[in-house]
Amino acid sequence: MLIIATAQVVYLQSCQTRDARFSQYYVQGQQLYVQYCSNCHQKDGTGLGLLYPPVSQSDFVDQRFNEVVCSMRNGLRGSIIVNGREYNQPMPGIPYLTDLEVAEISTYLYNTWGRKRGLVTVEEVQRVSAVCTP
Amino acid sequence: MLPVLLVAIVSILESCKTKELPLPIFGERKVVNGDTLFHRIAPFAFVDQDSAVVTNDTFRGKVYVADFFFTSCRTICPIMKTQMLRVYEATRDMPDVQIISHTIDPEYDTVALLRDFAKRLGVESGRWHFVTGVKDSIYKIAQTSYFATALEDKSEPDGFIHSGAFLLIDRQGRIRGKYDGTKEEEVNRLIVDIKKLRREGNP
Repeated sequence: MLIIATAQVVYLQSCQTRDARFSQYYVQGQQLYVQYCSNCHQKDGTGLGLLYPPVSQSDFVDQRFNEVVCSMRNGLRGSIIVNGREYNQPMPGIPYLTDLEVAEISTYLYNTWGRKRGLVTVEEVQRVSAVCTP
Repeated sequence: MLPVLLVAIVSILESCKTKELPLPIFGERKVVNGDTLFHRIAPFAFVDQDSAVVTNDTFRGKVYVADFFFTSCRTICPIMKTQMLRVYEATRDMPDVQIISHTIDPEYDTVALLRDFAKRLGVESGRWHFVTGVKDSIYKIAQTSYFATALEDKSEPDGFIHSGAFLLIDRQGRIRGKYDGTKEEEVNRLIVDIKKLRREGNP
Protein backbone atom coordinates (compact mmCIF):
# COMPACT_ATOMS: atom_id res chain seq x y z
CA MET A 1 0.00 0.00 0.00
CA LEU A 2 2.74 2.33 1.00
CA ILE A 3 4.67 1.38 -2.10
CA ILE A 4 1.75 2.25 -4.34
CA ALA A 5 1.33 5.59 -2.60
CA THR A 6 5.03 6.34 -2.97
CA ALA A 7 5.00 5.35 -6.61
CA GLN A 8 1.99 7.54 -7.18
CA VAL A 9 3.66 10.51 -5.53
CA VAL A 10 6.80 9.99 -7.59
CA TYR A 11 4.74 9.66 -10.76
CA LEU A 12 2.72 12.78 -10.01
CA GLN A 13 5.81 14.73 -9.13
CA SER A 14 7.67 13.87 -12.30
CA CYS A 15 4.65 14.86 -14.34
CA GLN A 16 4.09 18.01 -12.43
CA THR A 17 7.76 18.84 -12.49
CA ARG A 18 7.87 18.95 -16.27
CA ASP A 19 4.64 20.98 -16.52
CA ALA A 20 5.53 23.25 -13.65
CA ARG A 21 9.00 23.74 -15.07
CA PHE A 22 7.56 24.61 -18.46
CA SER A 23 5.25 27.27 -16.97
CA GLN A 24 8.06 28.60 -14.84
CA TYR A 25 10.45 28.88 -17.78
CA TYR A 26 7.74 30.30 -20.01
CA VAL A 27 6.69 33.05 -17.58
CA GLN A 28 10.28 33.91 -16.71
CA GLY A 29 11.21 33.79 -20.40
CA GLN A 30 8.46 36.22 -21.27
CA GLN A 31 9.77 38.71 -18.73
CA LEU A 32 13.33 38.33 -20.02
CA TYR A 33 12.11 38.72 -23.59
CA VAL A 34 10.40 42.00 -22.69
CA GLN A 35 13.50 43.17 -20.83
CA TYR A 36 16.19 42.23 -23.35
CA CYS A 37 14.63 41.62 -26.74
CA SER A 38 11.45 43.66 -27.12
CA ASN A 39 13.32 46.97 -27.44
CA CYS A 40 14.13 46.04 -31.01
CA HIS A 41 11.96 43.03 -31.86
CA GLN A 42 8.89 44.59 -30.16
CA LYS A 43 6.67 43.04 -27.52
CA ASP A 44 4.50 41.43 -30.19
CA GLY A 45 7.57 40.10 -32.01
CA THR A 46 6.90 41.98 -35.26
CA GLY A 47 10.24 43.81 -35.42
CA LEU A 48 10.68 47.28 -36.90
CA GLY A 49 10.75 47.97 -40.63
CA LEU A 50 13.82 46.47 -42.27
CA LEU A 51 15.96 47.42 -39.28
CA TYR A 52 15.00 44.75 -36.76
CA PRO A 53 13.61 41.49 -38.12
CA PRO A 54 10.42 39.91 -36.76
CA VAL A 55 10.72 36.95 -34.41
CA SER A 56 7.00 36.13 -34.37
CA GLN A 57 6.31 35.09 -37.97
CA SER A 58 9.88 34.29 -38.93
CA ASP A 59 11.29 31.44 -41.03
CA PHE A 60 14.69 32.23 -39.53
CA VAL A 61 13.48 31.55 -35.97
CA ASP A 62 11.47 28.52 -37.13
CA GLN A 63 14.35 26.86 -38.94
CA ARG A 64 17.54 27.98 -37.23
CA PHE A 65 17.13 27.06 -33.58
CA ASN A 66 20.86 26.70 -32.89
CA GLU A 67 21.77 30.06 -34.41
CA VAL A 68 18.96 31.78 -32.54
CA VAL A 69 20.05 30.29 -29.21
CA CYS A 70 23.66 31.26 -29.89
CA SER A 71 22.73 34.81 -30.96
CA MET A 72 21.25 35.64 -27.54
CA ARG A 73 24.71 35.68 -25.95
CA ASN A 74 26.99 36.12 -28.96
CA GLY A 75 24.97 38.54 -31.05
CA LEU A 76 24.72 38.46 -34.83
CA ARG A 77 26.66 40.37 -37.47
CA GLY A 78 26.30 40.72 -41.18
CA SER A 79 23.37 40.33 -43.50
CA ILE A 80 20.62 37.79 -42.83
CA ILE A 81 17.49 36.90 -44.80
CA VAL A 82 14.23 36.67 -42.87
CA ASN A 83 11.03 35.84 -44.75
CA GLY A 84 12.82 36.70 -47.98
CA ARG A 85 13.88 40.16 -46.85
CA GLU A 86 17.40 41.27 -46.09
CA TYR A 87 18.34 42.70 -42.67
CA ASN A 88 21.76 44.05 -41.78
CA GLN A 89 21.71 45.77 -38.40
CA PRO A 90 24.26 44.26 -35.99
CA MET A 91 22.57 42.53 -33.05
CA PRO A 92 24.51 42.99 -29.83
CA GLY A 93 24.71 39.86 -27.72
CA ILE A 94 24.06 39.79 -24.00
CA PRO A 95 27.09 37.79 -22.83
CA TYR A 96 26.07 37.67 -19.18
CA LEU A 97 22.85 35.72 -19.76
CA THR A 98 23.04 32.39 -17.90
CA ASP A 99 22.24 29.01 -19.47
CA LEU A 100 19.00 29.05 -17.51
CA GLU A 101 18.02 32.48 -18.82
CA VAL A 102 18.75 31.46 -22.42
CA ALA A 103 16.64 28.33 -21.85
CA GLU A 104 13.82 30.45 -20.47
CA ILE A 105 13.88 32.95 -23.36
CA SER A 106 14.05 30.05 -25.83
CA THR A 107 11.13 28.30 -24.13
CA TYR A 108 9.11 31.50 -24.49
CA LEU A 109 10.17 32.15 -28.09
CA TYR A 110 9.57 28.57 -29.24
CA ASN A 111 6.15 28.25 -27.62
CA THR A 112 4.63 31.58 -28.64
CA TRP A 113 3.32 32.96 -31.95
CA GLY A 114 2.13 29.57 -33.12
CA ARG A 115 5.19 27.56 -32.10
CA LYS A 116 4.85 24.47 -29.90
CA ARG A 117 8.33 23.13 -29.39
CA GLY A 118 7.84 22.49 -25.67
CA LEU A 119 10.35 23.05 -22.91
CA VAL A 120 13.86 24.08 -23.92
CA THR A 121 16.08 22.69 -21.17
CA VAL A 122 19.31 24.03 -19.72
CA GLU A 123 21.08 20.89 -20.99
CA GLU A 124 19.89 21.60 -24.52
CA VAL A 125 21.17 25.17 -24.32
CA GLN A 126 24.54 23.91 -23.07
CA ARG A 127 24.74 21.38 -25.89
CA VAL A 128 23.99 24.02 -28.52
CA SER A 129 26.25 26.65 -26.94
CA ALA A 130 29.23 24.30 -26.99
CA VAL A 131 29.24 24.47 -30.79
CA CYS A 132 28.32 28.13 -31.40
CA THR A 133 30.43 29.84 -34.00
CA PRO A 134 31.66 33.00 -32.33
CA MET B 1 -36.20 77.49 -12.85
CA LEU B 2 -35.31 74.33 -14.74
CA PRO B 3 -34.70 76.01 -18.12
CA VAL B 4 -32.46 78.59 -16.45
CA LEU B 5 -30.44 75.85 -14.85
CA LEU B 6 -30.21 73.98 -18.12
CA VAL B 7 -29.02 77.05 -19.96
CA ALA B 8 -26.44 77.61 -17.26
CA ILE B 9 -25.18 74.05 -17.53
CA VAL B 10 -25.11 74.17 -21.31
CA SER B 11 -23.20 77.43 -21.31
CA ILE B 12 -20.69 76.04 -18.84
CA LEU B 13 -20.21 73.00 -21.02
CA GLU B 14 -19.87 75.18 -24.10
CA SER B 15 -17.23 77.34 -22.48
CA CYS B 16 -15.25 74.22 -21.64
CA LYS B 17 -15.45 73.05 -25.21
CA THR B 18 -14.37 76.22 -26.93
CA LYS B 19 -11.75 77.40 -24.49
CA GLU B 20 -8.62 75.39 -25.15
CA LEU B 21 -5.70 76.08 -22.88
CA PRO B 22 -2.63 77.02 -24.92
CA LEU B 23 0.45 74.83 -24.58
CA PRO B 24 3.10 76.21 -22.21
CA ILE B 25 6.20 77.97 -23.52
CA PHE B 26 9.38 76.44 -22.08
CA GLY B 27 12.57 78.18 -21.01
CA GLU B 28 13.62 81.57 -19.73
CA ARG B 29 11.81 84.68 -20.76
CA LYS B 30 12.88 88.32 -20.69
CA VAL B 31 10.80 91.45 -20.89
CA VAL B 32 12.33 94.10 -23.12
CA ASN B 33 10.46 97.38 -23.67
CA GLY B 34 7.24 95.73 -22.61
CA ASP B 35 7.70 92.81 -25.04
CA THR B 36 8.22 89.31 -23.70
CA LEU B 37 11.14 87.52 -25.35
CA PHE B 38 10.96 83.74 -25.14
CA HIS B 39 13.64 81.10 -25.32
CA ARG B 40 14.13 80.01 -28.94
CA ILE B 41 16.17 77.30 -30.64
CA ALA B 42 19.56 78.82 -31.52
CA PRO B 43 20.73 78.95 -35.17
CA PHE B 44 21.95 75.58 -36.46
CA ALA B 45 23.05 73.90 -39.67
CA PHE B 46 23.19 70.12 -40.07
CA VAL B 47 23.09 67.69 -43.00
CA ASP B 48 20.30 65.15 -43.45
CA GLN B 49 20.05 61.68 -45.02
CA ASP B 50 19.54 63.22 -48.47
CA SER B 51 22.68 65.38 -48.08
CA ALA B 52 20.44 68.46 -47.78
CA VAL B 53 21.42 71.21 -45.37
CA VAL B 54 18.87 71.54 -42.57
CA THR B 55 18.68 74.86 -40.72
CA ASN B 56 16.14 76.79 -38.70
CA ASP B 57 14.78 78.00 -42.07
CA THR B 58 13.85 74.42 -42.97
CA PHE B 59 11.23 74.59 -40.22
CA ARG B 60 10.10 78.18 -40.79
CA GLY B 61 6.33 78.35 -40.46
CA LYS B 62 6.24 74.67 -39.46
CA VAL B 63 5.71 72.73 -36.30
CA TYR B 64 8.42 70.16 -35.63
CA VAL B 65 9.49 67.42 -33.24
CA ALA B 66 13.16 66.93 -32.28
CA ASP B 67 15.05 64.08 -30.66
CA PHE B 68 18.60 62.74 -30.19
CA PHE B 69 19.71 59.17 -30.93
CA PHE B 70 22.33 57.07 -32.70
CA THR B 71 21.89 54.13 -35.02
CA SER B 72 24.01 51.62 -33.09
CA CYS B 73 22.25 52.34 -29.79
CA ARG B 74 20.66 49.26 -28.27
CA THR B 75 19.07 50.73 -25.17
CA ILE B 76 16.30 53.29 -25.58
CA CYS B 77 16.74 54.32 -29.23
CA PRO B 78 14.87 51.42 -30.83
CA ILE B 79 11.85 52.25 -28.66
CA MET B 80 12.23 55.94 -29.43
CA LYS B 81 12.28 55.19 -33.15
CA THR B 82 9.24 52.92 -32.82
CA GLN B 83 7.42 55.76 -31.10
CA MET B 84 8.67 58.46 -33.49
CA LEU B 85 7.44 56.31 -36.34
CA ARG B 86 3.99 56.55 -34.76
CA VAL B 87 4.31 60.35 -34.76
CA TYR B 88 5.45 60.26 -38.39
CA GLU B 89 2.50 58.11 -39.38
CA ALA B 90 -0.03 60.11 -37.35
CA THR B 91 1.10 63.29 -39.15
CA ARG B 92 1.29 61.70 -42.60
CA ASP B 93 -1.14 64.21 -44.11
CA MET B 94 0.35 67.26 -42.44
CA PRO B 95 3.08 68.78 -44.63
CA ASP B 96 3.55 71.52 -42.04
CA VAL B 97 4.64 69.00 -39.40
CA GLN B 98 8.24 67.77 -39.59
CA ILE B 99 10.66 65.70 -37.52
CA ILE B 100 14.39 66.07 -36.88
CA SER B 101 16.41 63.23 -35.34
CA HIS B 102 19.99 64.24 -34.51
CA THR B 103 22.65 61.58 -34.24
CA ILE B 104 24.91 62.07 -31.24
CA ASP B 105 27.48 59.73 -32.80
CA PRO B 106 28.31 61.66 -36.01
CA GLU B 107 31.65 59.89 -36.46
CA TYR B 108 29.89 56.57 -37.02
CA ASP B 109 26.53 57.81 -38.32
CA THR B 110 27.49 59.20 -41.71
CA VAL B 111 25.00 60.58 -44.24
CA ALA B 112 25.10 57.25 -46.12
CA LEU B 113 24.40 55.29 -42.95
CA LEU B 114 21.56 57.60 -41.95
CA ARG B 115 20.07 57.26 -45.43
CA ASP B 116 20.13 53.47 -45.12
CA PHE B 117 18.67 53.68 -41.60
CA ALA B 118 15.80 55.95 -42.72
CA LYS B 119 15.03 53.72 -45.69
CA ARG B 120 14.98 50.60 -43.56
CA LEU B 121 12.69 52.33 -41.09
CA GLY B 122 10.33 52.99 -43.98
CA VAL B 123 10.77 56.77 -44.03
CA GLU B 124 10.53 58.04 -47.57
CA SER B 125 9.18 61.56 -47.39
CA GLY B 126 11.31 64.59 -46.71
CA ARG B 127 9.31 65.35 -43.56
CA TRP B 128 11.65 63.36 -41.30
CA HIS B 129 15.26 64.55 -41.29
CA PHE B 130 17.99 62.32 -39.83
CA VAL B 131 20.84 64.75 -39.35
CA THR B 132 24.52 64.61 -38.63
CA GLY B 133 27.05 67.41 -38.20
CA VAL B 134 29.86 68.70 -36.04
CA LYS B 135 29.73 66.76 -32.80
CA ASP B 136 30.18 69.77 -30.52
CA SER B 137 27.42 71.68 -32.34
CA ILE B 138 25.02 68.76 -31.85
CA TYR B 139 25.83 68.45 -28.14
CA LYS B 140 25.58 72.19 -27.65
CA ILE B 141 22.22 72.57 -29.34
CA ALA B 142 20.94 69.57 -27.37
CA GLN B 143 21.99 71.02 -24.04
CA THR B 144 21.38 74.71 -24.46
CA SER B 145 18.53 74.93 -26.97
CA TYR B 146 16.47 71.76 -26.46
CA PHE B 147 17.41 71.12 -22.80
CA ALA B 148 18.01 67.47 -23.73
CA THR B 149 20.99 65.55 -22.40
CA ALA B 150 23.45 64.28 -25.01
CA LEU B 151 27.00 63.53 -23.97
CA GLU B 152 29.78 61.13 -24.74
CA ASP B 153 30.51 58.87 -21.78
CA LYS B 154 32.88 55.96 -22.20
CA SER B 155 31.63 54.32 -19.01
CA GLU B 156 28.13 53.88 -20.44
CA PRO B 157 27.35 50.56 -22.21
CA ASP B 158 26.97 52.27 -25.57
CA GLY B 159 29.44 55.09 -24.95
CA PHE B 160 26.86 57.88 -24.66
CA ILE B 161 24.35 59.22 -22.22
CA HIS B 162 21.30 60.84 -23.65
CA SER B 163 17.70 61.45 -22.76
CA GLY B 164 14.82 59.87 -24.61
CA ALA B 165 12.99 63.18 -24.82
CA PHE B 166 10.88 64.32 -27.77
CA LEU B 167 10.63 68.12 -27.98
CA LEU B 168 7.75 69.89 -29.66
CA ILE B 169 8.76 73.16 -31.32
CA ASP B 170 6.33 75.78 -32.61
CA ARG B 171 6.45 77.94 -35.73
CA GLN B 172 8.52 80.54 -33.91
CA GLY B 173 11.18 78.13 -32.73
CA ARG B 174 9.90 77.93 -29.16
CA ILE B 175 9.67 74.71 -27.13
CA ARG B 176 6.03 73.94 -26.40
CA GLY B 177 6.22 70.42 -25.03
CA LYS B 178 8.60 67.79 -23.71
CA TYR B 179 7.67 64.08 -23.78
CA ASP B 180 9.33 60.81 -22.86
CA GLY B 181 9.87 59.20 -26.24
CA THR B 182 10.07 55.73 -24.70
CA LYS B 183 6.51 55.85 -23.34
CA GLU B 184 3.51 55.22 -25.55
CA GLU B 185 1.11 57.33 -23.44
CA GLU B 186 3.46 60.33 -23.52
CA VAL B 187 3.73 60.06 -27.27
CA ASN B 188 -0.07 59.90 -27.52
CA ARG B 189 -0.11 63.21 -25.68
CA LEU B 190 2.47 64.60 -28.11
CA ILE B 191 0.30 63.65 -31.09
CA VAL B 192 -2.66 65.47 -29.51
CA ASP B 193 -0.47 68.51 -28.75
CA ILE B 194 0.82 68.66 -32.35
CA LYS B 195 -2.76 69.07 -33.55
CA LYS B 196 -3.39 71.66 -30.88
CA LEU B 197 -0.30 73.62 -31.90
CA ARG B 198 -1.30 73.57 -35.57
CA ARG B 199 -4.60 75.21 -34.59
CA GLU B 200 -2.76 78.14 -33.03
CA GLY B 201 -2.31 79.57 -36.53
CA ASN B 202 0.53 81.54 -37.95
CA PRO B 203 2.01 84.38 -35.91
